[in-house]
Amino acid sequence: MECFGESLNQELEDLQEHQTAIETKMLSLHKMLPNLQLLHTDSRQLSSMVSFTSTLAENVSGKVRQLDLAKSHVTACMQRVEDVLDLKFCTDGVQTALQNEDYEQAAAHIHRFLSLDENVLRMTEGSNEGSTLDTSFQLLHEAESKLKKIVHKNFDAAVHSKDVASVERFFKIFPLINLHDEGLTKFSKYLSAQISETAETNLNQALSVKSSDKRSTVIFADTITLLFEGIARVVEIHQPLVETYYGPGKMFPFMAALQKECDRQTRKIVEKFKESRDFTRKVQKVRQSSMPRATAAEKIDPKELDVLLAELTLMNARAELYLRFVRRRVVADVEVSQEEDRTEKVAEVDKFLSDCDLSRLMQELVGSYIMMEEYFMKEMVVKAVKMDTYEGGAMTSSMVDDAFFIVKKCVRRAMSSCSVDGVCAMLNNACTMLEQDFKEELHSRLKLGFPSGFDLTQAYNLVQSSIQQGKLQSSDTEKAKANFLCMLNDTEVSSDYIQTLKKNLQAEITKVFGHVHQHSQEKLESCLSELASVSNKFREVREFGFTQLYSAAIKPRIKPWVDTFSATSHLIDDEEFTNYEANDPWVQAFIVQLDNLLNTFKASLTTGNNDTFVSHVTTEVTIQLEKAVLKMSFNRLGGLQFDKELRALVGYLTSVTTWTIRDKFARLTQMATILNLEKVNEILDYWGPNSGPLTWRLTPTEVRQVLTLRVDFRGDDIKRLKL
Amino acid sequence: MEDYKYLFKVVLIGNAGVGKTCLVRRFTQGLFPPGQGATIGVDFMIKTVEVDGDKVKLQIWDTAGQERFRCITQSYYRSANALILVYDITCQPTFDCLPNWIKEIDTYASSKVLTYLVGNKSDRLLHREIPAEIGEHFAKQHSMRYLETSAKEAENVDRLFTEIAVELTKQAKENFLRPRQDSTSGKVGMPNGGSSPVGGLSCCKLN
Repeated sequence: MECFGESLNQELEDLQEHQTAIETKMLSLHKMLPNLQLLHTDSRQLSSMVSFTSTLAENVSGKVRQLDLAKSHVTACMQRVEDVLDLKFCTDGVQTALQNEDYEQAAAHIHRFLSLDENVLRMTEGSNEGSTLDTSFQLLHEAESKLKKIVHKNFDAAVHSKDVASVERFFKIFPLINLHDEGLTKFSKYLSAQISETAETNLNQALSVKSSDKRSTVIFADTITLLFEGIARVVEIHQPLVETYYGPGKMFPFMAALQKECDRQTRKIVEKFKESRDFTRKVQKVRQSSMPRATAAEKIDPKELDVLLAELTLMNARAELYLRFVRRRVVADVEVSQEEDRTEKVAEVDKFLSDCDLSRLMQELVGSYIMMEEYFMKEMVVKAVKMDTYEGGAMTSSMVDDAFFIVKKCVRRAMSSCSVDGVCAMLNNACTMLEQDFKEELHSRLKLGFPSGFDLTQAYNLVQSSIQQGKLQSSDTEKAKANFLCMLNDTEVSSDYIQTLKKNLQAEITKVFGHVHQHSQEKLESCLSELASVSNKFREVREFGFTQLYSAAIKPRIKPWVDTFSATSHLIDDEEFTNYEANDPWVQAFIVQLDNLLNTFKASLTTGNNDTFVSHVTTEVTIQLEKAVLKMSFNRLGGLQFDKELRALVGYLTSVTTWTIRDKFARLTQMATILNLEKVNEILDYWGPNSGPLTWRLTPTEVRQVLTLRVDFRGDDIKRLKL
Repeated sequence: MEDYKYLFKVVLIGNAGVGKTCLVRRFTQGLFPPGQGATIGVDFMIKTVEVDGDKVKLQIWDTAGQERFRCITQSYYRSANALILVYDITCQPTFDCLPNWIKEIDTYASSKVLTYLVGNKSDRLLHREIPAEIGEHFAKQHSMRYLETSAKEAENVDRLFTEIAVELTKQAKENFLRPRQDSTSGKVGMPNGGSSPVGGLSCCKLN
């Protein structure tokens, strides 16, 4: 209870303490009260002031807006007034200008008038001044149609009287009175007429040129060139006029109109060309001659085509040049005028140009040209093959040089046509002809094979006589041998020629077709690369020739010489070894015989073929020797003897070849090393980690096999070897 | 630039307007350009496809169908590995011309060439004039493979070219193996990647 009283007392005391604090706070609050009231009124005042200001501002800005509107009305009004004034000025001006025949002035007035918005003018000035406006409009409309008539009439008259100055004068007026299209049409018609006239004169002149004239063979190409040059000149002169007075974007319709005339004139020239060159008959004849069953009598002489082909290529080259010119001009204009759809428009231009009659006519001519050029090439090569002669002393026969001269001539002529497709086609045709006709000819001749029953001295004499007398006077076999080697050379040289041809043509193509589209260049590149594979096909034929030669002249020749080796015992004692040294059992004779063989052929083979021949011979020697060795028995001295023999052989062959022969003899040399060992275990000094720079070409089994050839080596020792 | 294991030439032939260019465009660019203009001369496109992990480059020659380009287009036949002869299934005359095209192929193309007969525009079923069986029968008669395609709907287009790539790769692999087997032991190896063996040069002609 006491406790409770105590705590109560405590609480009361606390509260009393608080009371004083609260009282002070209450006092200060009482002081603040009036201030708050003041604040309230002040803020209310402020708010009303702000809202007042905002209304005021709105009022002011509304006025400004109104003013602005009024101002723009005033400007429009002034514009109208000006327009009306202009209109009046135009009306008066047109009359006087027309009276004074100052058509430029009149057209300028009309142009101004046409730029006014007639309806707006009529609307704004509805009531009182309407009547005068109406008359003005009427007058101006009348003047406009009158001027149009006058311009038309005067333009026609100027054209008629060939008054160039007036023609150009009125040409410039057309766009002023909104007659762009009419103006262009009329003007291009006028220019076309001029082109036509000149072209006709030129064509007539061409037709009257005598055949003795030095340009007579290409007179139609000349005529067509004149036509193109004429049009180019017209464009050159009048393009600035069109651009200045008609604005950009008008070159395409302008050029298109002129192209129509160009097409017409080209057709005429091509017709006359075909007529006077007997073109259609020749094409027909070539087509028949190309048939497999065509007899010689029906065939057209390819030489008859030579001149015609040149003229055809020249015509197309000119046309390509001209079309390129036109395209450049039109596209440049398109690029200036067209903001968007530019590529579309350019595509349209390209389509127009590739579809125009000129293009078509030229495509037809190029088509015929390709057919005739192919015929020409093929027939001339056939002729070269038929007239093939072999001059003694020469490595190759005449047909190789002749054939490649023709191929080169034909492809280069195709190139002079500037037609990418034409060149590609001729490259294809050249590949076909070389591969199907020329290569097969060589192949079939090589198939006859190298006559066997090879007699060394005879062949040697044959070559000697052919060198000394410059001709061959020997038996048929010898002739056949010489022919075979000649064909082998022909094949090799052909393969090289094709590579050279490809390289030369590549350089020329880059020069002639440097400007054409990337895509076309890739096309050319692809057709050109076909030549490389044709060259490889000739290599294959050469390989075939070498297999013939191998089986007829190399293998059977070497066989008996190696047999002598096999027959020579290599189980020898000291005495025999010394004896061998004094009287060589076989290797010296072998070398002499090899030397004879190689020399015999060396004179009749090209360097490349000779290298291959020597390579074949050495390969055969190693193969046969290897076989022989594995069938023989050796003792220590025999091994030494063989090592000596091999060294002599390798030494000789190294002296007669330009490349390293040691590689071919690697296996044999290693066999000799093994046969030359003191004892079986000695092999380990050369094997595995001890091999040093030596790379073993023999397998462990082969090593063991060779070791067993030594009669003095024990089989157990060999078996125990860890290889 | 890019490496590839095989390069094959594919040549498209057939009358004008049957859709050769559209087939090529569809395959190489995935486009069907409406209002395609007539091809001038020969166009060429390249697309590399993969066959069993090998990159195979198809060089596609798109020839003009119009007569006046015939001499140019014929020159491409010989080196072609595959020919695609196209006609329009909605246009009888393009089918009637096929024998002429076959004659051209026989004259100019290599005898080993892989040939496909393709009836294009298979999306225009309502306008079909040549039933599929007739086309297929014709193809069989002339030992060609047959497919109907629609360049517009991309129907069978990829399949056509893929089949060609696969078949040619197969052939190339076989050819590559063959010369190895019958090479003579004494011959010096030729560093030549050519795929046609020497033994294949059996036919020789020169008048």
